[in-house]
Amino acid sequence: MTGTKTADDEKHLLTGATGFLGSHIMAGLLSQGKGVVIAGRSSGGESLKERIGRLLTWFGIEHLEGLLEFYETDFLKRRLGLGEDEYETLCGRGLSIIHCASDTSFAEKNRARVMKSNVESLTEILNFAHKSRTRCFHFMSTAYAAGIDSIECPEALVNSAHFTNVYEESKAHAENIVYGRCREGEIPYTILRPSIVYGNSVTGRSLRFNALYYPIRSLQLIRDIYLDDIKNNYGRKSAECGIYMNEDGALHLPIRIFMPHDGTINLIPVDYFTETILSILEKPETETFYHITGNNPERMARLVSYTERFLNIHGIEVVIGTSSAEEMRNPPEELFDHFIKAFRPYISDKRVFMRENTDRATSGALPPDLSYEIFQRCMAFAVSADWGKRFNVLRP
Amino acid sequence: MNDVLRTAKSCRHYAMCKIDFLGTGLCKSGAEKHYVSFYPQGRMDLYAALAENRIPVTEKCVEIAESCDLCGKCDYQCYFVTEMKPSVVMKALKEHIRLHLENGWEVLTAEKDSILDGLKEIVGDYWATSDRAVALTYSHDPCPVAEARMPEYVIMPCATAEISAVITLLNKHKIPYAVRGNGSSVMGFVMSEGAVIDLGRMKTIDFDEKNWLVKVGAGVAAFDLQKAAAMRGFRVNIAEPSALVCANIMCSGIFSTFSASYGTAADNYIDAEFVGHDGGMFRMSDKSAPNLFAFRKEDSAVPGICSSAYIRLHPVTSDEGAAFVPFESLEPALDFARECAMRRIGLAIGVLGGEYISVFLSPTKKLAAEVKVTFRDKLKIEYLVLVIGDKYALSAIQQMGYHYFDNRMIRTLNLGLPSLTSAKWLDLMDELANEEPFSYLGLKRFPDLAEAALAPSPAQLVRDVDPELRPFFEKLYARPEMTDPVWLNTFRIVSSRMGREKHVVAMIIYLPIDNTLITEINSEFKRIADSYGLKNDYGFITPLDNGKRCVFEYDYYLDHNDPDERTKMQQAMMEAGMMIERYSAETGTVTWIRYVFCQGFSRKESFLYSGAGADK
Repeated sequence: MTGTKTADDEKHLLTGATGFLGSHIMAGLLSQGKGVVIAGRSSGGESLKERIGRLLTWFGIEHLEGLLEFYETDFLKRRLGLGEDEYETLCGRGLSIIHCASDTSFAEKNRARVMKSNVESLTEILNFAHKSRTRCFHFMSTAYAAGIDSIECPEALVNSAHFTNVYEESKAHAENIVYGRCREGEIPYTILRPSIVYGNSVTGRSLRFNALYYPIRSLQLIRDIYLDDIKNNYGRKSAECGIYMNEDGALHLPIRIFMPHDGTINLIPVDYFTETILSILEKPETETFYHITGNNPERMARLVSYTERFLNIHGIEVVIGTSSAEEMRNPPEELFDHFIKAFRPYISDKRVFMRENTDRATSGALPPDLSYEIFQRCMAFAVSADWGKRFNVLRP
Repeated sequence: MNDVLRTAKSCRHYAMCKIDFLGTGLCKSGAEKHYVSFYPQGRMDLYAALAENRIPVTEKCVEIAESCDLCGKCDYQCYFVTEMKPSVVMKALKEHIRLHLENGWEVLTAEKDSILDGLKEIVGDYWATSDRAVALTYSHDPCPVAEARMPEYVIMPCATAEISAVITLLNKHKIPYAVRGNGSSVMGFVMSEGAVIDLGRMKTIDFDEKNWLVKVGAGVAAFDLQKAAAMRGFRVNIAEPSALVCANIMCSGIFSTFSASYGTAADNYIDAEFVGHDGGMFRMSDKSAPNLFAFRKEDSAVPGICSSAYIRLHPVTSDEGAAFVPFESLEPALDFARECAMRRIGLAIGVLGGEYISVFLSPTKKLAAEVKVTFRDKLKIEYLVLVIGDKYALSAIQQMGYHYFDNRMIRTLNLGLPSLTSAKWLDLMDELANEEPFSYLGLKRFPDLAEAALAPSPAQLVRDVDPELRPFFEKLYARPEMTDPVWLNTFRIVSSRMGREKHVVAMIIYLPIDNTLITEINSEFKRIADSYGLKNDYGFITPLDNGKRCVFEYDYYLDHNDPDERTKMQQAMMEAGMMIERYSAETGTVTWIRYVFCQGFSRKESFLYSGAGADK
């Protein structure tokens, strides 16, 4: 397939195309021969087109660039920062809109920035959706916008008052705005709620290495600190923490992972995410929420066993409960605990995500279980990519 | 220019070879003969002048060259500061003189001179000279706005009465003079075509512990005084370690990070003895003495020669420690420093930038450059606020919710710096910093992990040091005080490293800790230096008078042997000066240190608040 122009009624306007999920949606649509209008910004001295160009190269679909149109926009500005004529012309095309742009920081200190990016910016993009009489406004949210007030999470608007972090809160707030404005303005809409997305289950490739990757990367680096100590400094500091080399060549690294209660982590591979989104886009049901989640979420114990095997370490233990304040933790345990603090709610999650709407859209297609082979493939790719440092196409 | 001459001409005149700051002992001839000419600094100048045929070989020249025993102590000292090894110059000087003598070439003898005879009569035959070799070593410094001036005489009195008699004699013959401490101010203040009076022999230190004071002679260096005070369990407020205490008060009033609690200018002393320009002697506490406590906002001349000062002693508790609180930007760092000062938390407070941190901790330029990048890019540390205090002060900082590098972490960081620059695990710190800056410092066992990760050791720290000197430096860094931030700030031996890459010209102002004002002036300093292509960087800020004011240093750097850079620096300094004057006029709260020069005995209030009425 080569990049040629397609009719506007098959085209989508996509925001957040330079992000992890948005870029996969873009690649998926292009691979179907569909045109995509990219709305985004330049960054770090690179134009939007240049940023997207690097992504096309990464996906190996440079030849489809002809299917793309580019609009440098600013969602916080009137008319998305576009000139009046340009804006009017774009409005007149009635494109379907996929709004993926978002700030994914969990940090409370970034509250103002996250709210601005995820909530405030909706005003202009929804104005555009209304004025352009979009075929459908697809809003990329998160399964965790459901909040933490109830275990059972339906594919519907949830009015939870409590959230794990500002990101979840912002997405819940944004869903409410989308819901209200779209109903009021009679804009067809869907809310897309993925859980935690990791790399491609078939190729192992990924563009981003947070979430699932972060704890493994942390453990790898902690492991390497003590391997260096054993190799270069007679293992003096390792011995103080009960760290040693096993006879089988594996490093005994005694780390307890404290989880407040038993639970699971809901993971889906990005290839499943993309396929599901493309299915929904094919026949979107307006005013519908879609949970793009796994039906068989992973238990931490299994991820730990995968990690031990992958990193050639022993001694990681999942402990249900909290460590008492006076309990003496060894340095790697304390550091690891600190590293995963932000992710802890997601690894001992009790929430169950209903997914009838998604099943209907995908004819019941489910994500693959995270086998060791998939895990190994994804992590091996991450290591080969130096956890994103070797290529960093998402950030210039 | 060959390497030896380049080394000789690169001497910064920081006078660090005149104090025994590494415990190697002093250059033997310098300690005996006192003239700067007999220290490595003087020999560097002398060799450069001989190599460039700027002076003839004189009797003193021969004595200076032959008195060097090539012990190599200067290599340790100078390498510590500038990464240079002066012994190659010492050897070259000796060789130059040897060849000169071997060839039977002329050795110039000083001409008979009745004034010189008079001076010798006062101070003793050896302590006054008109020898050109000695005079040369008192004729210049790296200051870009000062021209070299060759004195007719160099005189080294050793008592107040001798100074008085020397002044009377010089006045009688209308000979201009400059008074010199160690010349480490490097601002061109201590040169004269007439006479230079070097006070370096007046090294008396008399403690009066009952009255919490120590009387110091004009030739006592800050490091030596601090050492003597520390041995008795006290601390004094000093600035650069090689600066002579009395001269340093006279010059700029002495400010350091300890000025946050000990004060500056008149806060530092109880009394002082002077010889006036008429040769008469007076004490500041005399009712009839000139009022040196007053301050006038104008360029001033030295009001007299301070021959001794009664310096205040401060108590030291056994629980003192340091907290280095990291910040991602200047404003919150200033807020924290101001809050500590206002709440009277800590003895020493300094808002340090990346340049100082990396340069002070690193034994080589190469490592310093790497460390600076690592601190900024990996650790996200742009500024560190240093607070030295007792356990209650340090506990207060924790209660205020700040995470910090303590003594142990600083030692680990310092001795593990080479590992830090290549540590992959810092990527995680980077990501953590984005979520919760520096929260890892709050982990109880983080120091253990840092020790495992950085494998700190003196051997590691000095691995890039010149192989010949490496064993010495490895032993040096094994000494606990060399990585103890309290000791290092008390004795200040690493601050001279700021001139290691290039000579530094400090732009210093007093002003309120007003974030907007400081940020603006900081940007202006940078803009000006950048426009001339000069290396420049933020230096430090220390709160004064309980946080109502602060002293702010911004540094410009130049190769003082490069005429083009000297010209650019002159222009940049002039422009920066105009900028300071503009802010001074607009705000009424900004005072340029230029006006404090030679008025350092004044009350700090008189120049910190000069816009409020002191400037009449």
